[in-house]
Amino acid sequence: MKYPGVIRSALALILTATSARAQRLLVPMDDAQTNHLKAYGLTYNAVKTGVQAEWLLNYRGGSFLVPDAPELRRRAALDGISVEPVTDAQLAAIRRDIAGANMESVPLERAPRIAVYTPPEAQPWDDAVTLALKYAGIDFTPIYDDQVEQGDLSKFDWLHLHHEDFTGQFNKFHLGYRDAPWFRDLVAKNAAAAKRMGFSSVPALKKDVAEKIRAFVERGGFLFAMCGATETLELAIAGHDVDIAGEFADGTPMDPDADSRLNWKRSLAFKDAHLERSPFVNAMSDIDGHQVNVPGRRQPLGTFTLFNFSAKFDPVPSMLVQDHRSVISDYYGVTTSFTKATLKSGVVVLATEEGAPWVKYIHGDYGKGTWTYLGGHDPEDPQHAIGNPPTDLSLHRSSPGYRLILNNVLFPAAKKKPLKT
Amino acid sequence: MCSVASLALVASIATPELRAQQEERPEVMRGLELESAGKYRDAVVILRAAVHTAPSPTAVLALERVYAELGMSDSLLAPIDTLIRLNPREPLYRSIQLRTLQTLRRDDQLREAFERWVRASPRDPAPYREYARILIQLGRPASGDTIIMRGKNALGTLRDLEYENAQLRAALGEWVPSAQSWRRALSDAPYLATAAAFALAPAPASARENIRDVFLSFPVELGARRALADLLLSWGAPMAAWESLRSLRPDTASATVWSEFAERAYADERWVLARDAYTAALGVRRLPHLAVRASVAALKAGTPNDVFSLAPLAEMGADSATAARQYVPLHVDALVAIGRTLDAEALIATYDRYFSPVQRMRATQSVAMGWVRAGDLQKARAALTAAGADADSSDAAGLLALYEGRLDAARLLLRSGAVPGADLTPALGIIARLRTDRAPTVGAAFLALARGDSAGASGKFVEAAAAEPAVAPALLLMAARLKGVRGDAAIPIWQKIVADFPGTPEAAESELEWARALRRRGDLASATARFEHLILSAPQSALLPQARRELEQLRGTVPPSS
Repeated sequence: MKYPGVIRSALALILTATSARAQRLLVPMDDAQTNHLKAYGLTYNAVKTGVQAEWLLNYRGGSFLVPDAPELRRRAALDGISVEPVTDAQLAAIRRDIAGANMESVPLERAPRIAVYTPPEAQPWDDAVTLALKYAGIDFTPIYDDQVEQGDLSKFDWLHLHHEDFTGQFNKFHLGYRDAPWFRDLVAKNAAAAKRMGFSSVPALKKDVAEKIRAFVERGGFLFAMCGATETLELAIAGHDVDIAGEFADGTPMDPDADSRLNWKRSLAFKDAHLERSPFVNAMSDIDGHQVNVPGRRQPLGTFTLFNFSAKFDPVPSMLVQDHRSVISDYYGVTTSFTKATLKSGVVVLATEEGAPWVKYIHGDYGKGTWTYLGGHDPEDPQHAIGNPPTDLSLHRSSPGYRLILNNVLFPAAKKKPLKT
Repeated sequence: MCSVASLALVASIATPELRAQQEERPEVMRGLELESAGKYRDAVVILRAAVHTAPSPTAVLALERVYAELGMSDSLLAPIDTLIRLNPREPLYRSIQLRTLQTLRRDDQLREAFERWVRASPRDPAPYREYARILIQLGRPASGDTIIMRGKNALGTLRDLEYENAQLRAALGEWVPSAQSWRRALSDAPYLATAAAFALAPAPASARENIRDVFLSFPVELGARRALADLLLSWGAPMAAWESLRSLRPDTASATVWSEFAERAYADERWVLARDAYTAALGVRRLPHLAVRASVAALKAGTPNDVFSLAPLAEMGADSATAARQYVPLHVDALVAIGRTLDAEALIATYDRYFSPVQRMRATQSVAMGWVRAGDLQKARAALTAAGADADSSDAAGLLALYEGRLDAARLLLRSGAVPGADLTPALGIIARLRTDRAPTVGAAFLALARGDSAGASGKFVEAAAAEPAVAPALLLMAARLKGVRGDAAIPIWQKIVADFPGTPEAAESELEWARALRRRGDLASATARFEHLILSAPQSALLPQARRELEQLRGTVPPSS
């Protein structure tokens, strides 16, 4: 018999009072779940308190298994998260299912320490990841250039970047917002920070920050970037020794041979991309397939499909694509997608648009760490424009796009297993 | 929207020669009849022969439809090619050719057909218009943009391509340029207002102010204002929609638009807007049915005084019978609503001989309701007696029974929503849950409420709760509501309901209000505890989603403005 989620939660509570406690609570992540996003918060915070949880990859949409503890039941009821008590016999049956199919149980044992690179004055609603973390109840520490320069990245396991332009050109927003108070304030604050920290210009500061982020990953950090930060981080790393910023940004023209002097051996994901030289074209390079801010080049939005990996042999990419939907509507960002021609060999493509020359979601190893890039700005605001009202995730509790973000938050908690492929 | 536009386009491109052939030949009429009857295979034979011998627009368009129904659109290409060879500048045949190639998804041939059309009619905007429209429909706005720009360069102006350009800009998310193009298109074709509103409706909030400015800019034009009004309605801003129409020049065309807007507002029960729009229309055309609608809207909007100017009795002159039928009942209701029940009685007496028995009874019931509302039960009873035996079954009689605590009669007579201006829902809920037929303390509490004595009524509801334990939580909740939800005075009552009647719907509502009061007071920890207690203790309450949402706002996990 199937029950609506609320009644299921109520039943769970009734069971608490009237029957012997089950050994485990299953947090289903298929359509039976009433709040997918908060389910991640429940699991993350359980792991953070020292509880051993499990991520059941490909089992009912990538469900979680947590101990049946009163506080977890209470949290689930308060947040409207569907949980199902599981007896030992039921658990044994689940494990048999997992053993016989493309599924895997991954222990989650240590909650990663999370940092989000974001300006100090930014609201959580400015960035899809902080929005998701806030909604799911997952704590994070905002850091910015000062903290990165002071070496604070070493205090964290997981770092998120969003719409920062690491080439220091402010996403070329001067084209449309030169006189907007928020833009002038942004430029002034960054210029002051660069000066305070002893850099000749904002591009010089951002390049150094990009370099420290690269080193963070190399040392074993987990990097998750979205939107324009993906593309510009790569350009800043590859252009570490080249002037890739326009005159409007640093007072000197871009190196005329910048394209050929980019060092793609240093970058994480991309190679052989070409810089957009014109200060009047709102694009950074040809890494982005959609070019949303360039009217003549802008490509329409389609849908992207998540790849299905072998849960037993490729648990990491499997974790990153756990979802209750496999086809998801696309959404724009400063960088919406990644052209296939600019991907380095060895990059794992997690999601792509069928027939298109771009991919949406990619992952790879770098040094001792890993990086994951997801194109676009906000999975529930496909046409996002500056000034749009913030997305209210309580209206998108089961957003499949936001689940991809939260998969990234949780996967570093997984106990390392030796990779079989 | 597209079909309207297509029809308009077809009408505009049909040549005079073709339009002149209004009398269709019998075989074409026969083909159309067969098409209507769904006998497409029979129709196609007749229509194909008709097109071959003497083509007319009706026959060609019918053949296009019939082939499409049969899934044989490719069979249309040969006859259309022949017609185009004979009439190389005939836009109707060219349009059908493009549509057919679009249906068949023969993109290369579609492009070639367009190029041939351009070569045949280099100064004609039709090929650019048609092809751009097809590209937009195919979800290729960027290619459509190229064609529009090419048309602009070839023709030296965008003037004849404004509609397509407007659609294109909207498809590309260029909302303000789209609005500007719509504005220009609407100057010549105000009938496109609905299409404009439909195309611009998905614009994000950040672009809406600029779009509004485009349509509001001078000169004030009917088409632009109608489009804006429709747009604002779709964005959930009916007041602004009316504001955009209000400044139209008062003439008969504007009066028609105002009346249409008023009808929509009336149907949506937006009484203030309906009243204002009807009033504006009345300023141009004084029609009695508009005056009656405007007056009803004014009464529902809570501005009964407006009735006297919207439907003046003097307007009826010496025609007292018509006045008694149309305007006097409205005046009676208005007088009762403003507390001049005695004057209402006098007005009824003046027109008494013109009333039908039913009209008389309704007017007297209205007066009785006036006395009931004032809490003067004696006069109310007298008025009901004067109205005759039928009045005993009226809503006023039902209220009278309620106030006297005669619940059996009140249950029988009262219907929710039947009494204008009176929200009977709580009373009906309470008397439905009571098993007794007499409850004087409950009646006294509702009577105090009718007399406008909120403080006294609150106390009486508390007393009634003690006397009627079966509905105590509902009566206490009424008492709490009368204390004013924005203050703290109701907290002890909510507290009592939560403590003494756990598990009732009133307990959940009380706890929600209690939590809100604590939040307003700034006691966020206690408010959080109350929200959490409500969610955990009443998991099946209908208020749970609201409680969760407010808890999330309190914790700051969702944006504050939402």
